[in-house]
Amino acid sequence: MKMFRTFLRSALCSAVFASGAMVHAEGPSDGQVAARAAALEVAGAFSNDGFKLRDGYWSGAIAKGEAPVLALNLFAGNHYWFSVATTSAGTPVIELFDEAGRPVETEPWKDGQRAAAGFSAVASGPYFLRIRTGTGEAADFCVVYSYK
Amino acid sequence: MVRVSSGIACICALAVLASAPVGAEDLGAEAMSGAVRLDSFSLPTAGELFAAIGKTGKPSWASQYREPIPSSYSSRYRAALNLGTLIADGFIAVEAQDGQQVKNTGRDIMALAKTLGVSDRVLARGKSITDFAEANEWSTLKEELEATQNEVKQAMADQQDQDLVTLVSAGAWIRGLQVITGVVLAEYSPESARLIRQPGIVAFLRARLGALPPRIREDAAVAVVTERLGEIEKMVSFAAPETPAAESVRALNEVAAGLVKTLSTRPAAAP
Repeated sequence: MKMFRTFLRSALCSAVFASGAMVHAEGPSDGQVAARAAALEVAGAFSNDGFKLRDGYWSGAIAKGEAPVLALNLFAGNHYWFSVATTSAGTPVIELFDEAGRPVETEPWKDGQRAAAGFSAVASGPYFLRIRTGTGEAADFCVVYSYK
Repeated sequence: MVRVSSGIACICALAVLASAPVGAEDLGAEAMSGAVRLDSFSLPTAGELFAAIGKTGKPSWASQYREPIPSSYSSRYRAALNLGTLIADGFIAVEAQDGQQVKNTGRDIMALAKTLGVSDRVLARGKSITDFAEANEWSTLKEELEATQNEVKQAMADQQDQDLVTLVSAGAWIRGLQVITGVVLAEYSPESARLIRQPGIVAFLRARLGALPPRIREDAAVAVVTERLGEIEKMVSFAAPETPAAESVRALNEVAAGLVKTLSTRPAAAP
């Protein structure tokens, strides 16, 4: 059954990918495609612990020295894992902030060009996710998230 | 400069590019106001919301079912809003682990999707939803429903109906709000009541609706949603430590339920 679920998840990811459910106006770069595959691989590990992968992603290119920010909405009681991968040689940094812009503590996970941040939301509402490359250099990136 | 490839929401042209100074302790107001906002990432799914409420008790999801709605509307915008509400219905049926209701809702989704010209792409999903429902694969069904929702939106984007994507999202959220407030009211607790605090989501939807072309904003269904969301925003924007009283939750439930009912009712034909 677990193998079937893993297969299904892969199939779903492939289907979403192939159908372009997250279509890019210009099309994703090769780096973004690679980053997405790596981020999904990290998220897959959390799926084994009962986390559901959100069928969506955030990807793009980070310019040197910059750090893109994304707004999202989380619910109290849910546990989240945000998984990121970049094409930069360094380990990416993923930070979460509350609606006032204050950093919140997350559970870190790192492995080479991939990282993840775990967070149990105590308050429902808006949050902000910031991504940086570990070296500050330009890179392509992709973020996915899981929840349970 | 940060270049972000943003998917559906990027096509909808509201994804704002942003960056924050590296190494800052707090995020500045500029970074927060300019943060990227994506339909596919910033807006939680109904399943995500229902997962949170499921931790506060044992909701009677079946009590949140509603009567079947029409399978076609003369206004495509009203149809898109109702398609969103039906997708939320699908999540409710999955939470209730009610295979027959899942299949019924799946059939309704397909019927309405057909009137919007997006049924072909989701036909295969409809089949797998039925299969998973028959096999009691509830966890997989949630994922399949989410994928279906994205498939519908993608099909709309592909046929240059990007504006409909916003309406599907709005419809799903409004129906989700009706359900969640209904669940909270059925067994009120402070922690479940605090889940209705969703100011960022309403602000996001209102911004999207405000950016629609005038001809769409003037549609009767879209206009009423825009108006009521202003009212709803005030009701779900209480400060984080506060807990809404049962009366406040009831008032919100009535607004959401009234809006869902208004959307699903075909306007009377002109004499």
